[in-house]
Formats: sequence, C-alpha cells, structure tokens
Amino acid sequence: MSVRKILLVDDEADIRLVAEISLSNLGGWQVIQAASGPEAVELASRERPDLILLDVMMPGMDGPATLERLRAQEDGHATPVIFMTAKVQKTEVDRLLGLGVRGLIPKPFDPMTLPDDIRRILGA
Amino acid sequence: MQLSPIPATEVERLAALRRYELLDTLPEQVYDDLTQLAAYVCRAPMALVSLVDSSRVWFKSCSSSLPAPEVDRASAFCAHAVFNGDLLVVPNTTLDERFADSPLVTGALGIRFYAGAPLITHDGHALGTLCVIDSRPRKLDRKQAEMLRALSRQVMSQIELRLHIHDSQRVERLKNEFVSVVSHELRTPLTSIRGSLGLLEGGVLGEVPPPMARLLEIARTNTDRLIRLINDILDLEKIEAGKLELHVQPIDPEDLATIAITEIQGVAHQAQVRLTCRADPSWSRSRPHLLGDFDRLLQVLINLLSNAIKVSPPGEAVEIRIGTPDGGRIRLSVCDRGPGIAERDLRRIFDKFHQIDSSDSRSRGGTGLGLAICKAIVEQHGGTIGLETAEGLGSTFWCELPLSGI
Repeated sequence: MSVRKILLVDDEADIRLVAEISLSNLGGWQVIQAASGPEAVELASRERPDLILLDVMMPGMDGPATLERLRAQEDGHATPVIFMTAKVQKTEVDRLLGLGVRGLIPKPFDPMTLPDDIRRILGA
Repeated sequence: MQLSPIPATEVERLAALRRYELLDTLPEQVYDDLTQLAAYVCRAPMALVSLVDSSRVWFKSCSSSLPAPEVDRASAFCAHAVFNGDLLVVPNTTLDERFADSPLVTGALGIRFYAGAPLITHDGHALGTLCVIDSRPRKLDRKQAEMLRALSRQVMSQIELRLHIHDSQRVERLKNEFVSVVSHELRTPLTSIRGSLGLLEGGVLGEVPPPMARLLEIARTNTDRLIRLINDILDLEKIEAGKLELHVQPIDPEDLATIAITEIQGVAHQAQVRLTCRADPSWSRSRPHLLGDFDRLLQVLINLLSNAIKVSPPGEAVEIRIGTPDGGRIRLSVCDRGPGIAERDLRRIFDKFHQIDSSDSRSRGGTGLGLAICKAIVEQHGGTIGLETAEGLGSTFWCELPLSGI
C-alpha cells in the first residue's frame, strides 16, 4: 500500500518535531500534526491521511479513545493506525494491539529507523 | 445508673480506633470464631466483640444473632470496661448501682451478668471489649476469666494483623503505580532527546563536522544507556515483586540459540566476533526440549551473548553450547575467550550494579543489572545460573533449566 500523507498525533510538541523531521526528510512523506485527540479527529476527516501515528498517553482523549472516534467517523474505510507509546508492560502492549491497530512503536524510538519500522509494520 | 466515665486519653483513644478502620464493617469469620469460643468457654448464651466509639458502642461480632448493631455508649457496660482497662465483671447487674437502671438491664435484653475484657492496642489504648453476657446473675471462675483475657488478646491480634495487611496492600499499590508512572514520565523526555540526537548524528539536517559528530555520538549512546537502564530497572522491579508472569511452553534449545544469534549478529559483526552454536552428543542423542518462557530465556541468552561479545578480542569466537550433563536438566552455556574474571569479582558477579572494571564496562554501555536480571529469570524457572572462568583464558556463563518431558 502506498503512503503519501501521515497524520501524526502527540501532545508533546518536541516529539512531534523530531518525528516530523524523521518522517518527511527520511521517509519522504507529507506530515500533518495534531496535538490532541479532538484535533486528530477533525484533521483526519479533513485531510484524509493514508496512515495515522497515534500517541497513547494524551490528556483528555487518550489514544484508544481517539481511535474509537476515528473509527466512528470513517464508515467502512479504516485508515491504518499505528500506536506510539512509552508504556512497555507486556499486558499494556497486548491490550493496545488488541484494539485493531496495525502495530505499535515503543518510545523512545530511533528517528533514523522510524520510516523503515513503519514500512515493516505496514508490509506485514 | 452512672454514666460511663470517659478516659483521660479519649482523644487519642478515638484516633487509635479510627486507625483500624473497623467500625461499620461487615462481620468476619475470624471474629465470629473468637466470640463463639468465648461463649463456649464461659458457658454464656452470648459473646460479643464491641468497639467503643465517641457516643455509641458498635458490635463487630456476636456469637449468636445480634440484638442490635449498636447501643448508646452512656449506658453501656463496655464503656466502663474500656475505662477500667482490665477485665470488668458484673455478677449481678441489678445489685450494681452503676448499671441497675440501664436500659440494657431493665429493657428487653434483660442482662443480669456481664464480663468484658478490654481490647488493648500495642500503644495502650482500649478500643472496645470481648465480652460475655447472661440473663441470670452468675460469676466467672478463675480459669474462665483467664481464658476471656487470652481470647481478647487474640481478637486484638487479629485487628492489628488486618491493619498490617491493608497497609501492605496500600504500599504495594502505590509502588506499582509509582514505578509505572515514573517509567513513562522518564521515557517521554528521553524520546525527544534521543530523537534530536539521532537526527543530528545521522546528518539528516546537514553534514556534521567530525569533532561535533563525536560529541553527538557520546550524547546519543549515553541516552541509549539511560533508556536501557530504565528498562532494566522496571524489569528487575517486576521480577523482585514476583510480578513476572512466565508463559511457559516446551522450547527447542537449538531454536532459542539460533534466534538469539540472529538478533545479536549485527553487534557481533561490528565487534568482529564470530558466533557459533554447538550441541553436545549428550543432548543431540534425543534432542530434549526445555520448559520455559521463550521471550524471557531469549532475553537471558542475548544478555549473556552481548556480555561475551563485549569482552572478546576482535577475530575471536563466542560459542553457545547445548548439553544435558546429568540427564535431568538442559545446560545452555555461553563461552568466550576474553580476559576471564578475577577471583575477587566472582562472589558479586550476579549482584545488582556490580560491574567488573567499571570504567571499561560503562564505556561499552552496560547497565550493571543484566546478570542480576538473568539470574532472577533463570531462578524463577526453577533453574540455576553459574560461571566458570580462568583469568587470561576466558569465561563460560551457564544456566541449567528443567526438561519439558518432550
């Protein structure tokens, strides 16, 4: 599947910046940023990204809650979603993967391999 | 009727009572057992565990069915017992001017006999009583009085134990939340730091002159070390709290070894170290499986291999050996031809944060927890971990794990 536009969702501006440089300079993708769940839901419907990178721990609407809202507004066409999370307990990871996302990228991530990690997850 | 007197230390006494969080709780078997015992020993129709609150006496337990969940403190026998500080016996309530007019005597309950042993905390406060009552006047013999006191100490002991358990559970919950929250909080800024350094070092935003590149490399590798340390601490904490869940299954040790080698191949290649795997005839004869958690044992093997590679001179080889030395267990060994380990370091090699030749090990990114984690994982499998070494010749780290019966 071809990815041209990625919606990047994280409440930390620094992390968004670093990820954006990695995804656009190394990955060659166009990156739209959202700083919160509600913003992500709005931008997803407006921009129609090919992939959503979704942070798990966000204040207010967290990753899983945002995923639910995204799915609710999609009617049929499910945009691939990859979670990003600093939570590494196996039980947490299993729970998150069980929510129907393509995969999970642990934080801290390696910005030099992030695009390849994403391609690997999507290719699987 | 005399109103029950208030002890001088009533404020502290009430505080002590609150501390046990026992008021208005549901009945518990352990207290009911004790009231049953008390009633039997004293040959009384009813025994109770009472707690004397500011204006009421509340009952935690009754040997038969409770007449009422609580009574007014002012006219209660137990309140006097609490003030008394020792066993209070009223052989005939109608002849005792303190109680003759009490509703408990004149009313439906018709109490004619009371004996109550106060429940005294370790810091000297009387919370309430273990008491027996009867509808006819009588006495307690000396043995019964002694037994009632002894049982009251048992009740108090239960109360203290219950508090201790609740406190421990509370501390455990807080600790778990703390570790999990701290781990997450540390990873978040580290993500930005690691990310920035990685991009700079990788030249993504422009070429970096060598002296600068070197500093960036230092910052980035130490950030990686910090991240590994956080992972290791979380791991070790889980293991030590007994929270490590093992997903046990039969494992082919050769599979395990192959996958471990594949994972660490890149690192070995960079260090110019060859990785080999050898199966002893003792094992290859019947190729038995071992019983364990694949991911965790892989973690152990990779850790040992990583250590072995770090100490191996370029061009040398690190070998994994599989054997069943005594037929009852499987032995996995990682052998290196590094400098070996000095006698004085052997004793503490599996300890937390113990690092041989600190300066060198730290520069190679060790966290000091690797072997402690390996030991904990192996031991949780019911196995043993050990080391054979000779200075100047090399080391063999081995672990023995149970067979799976396949």
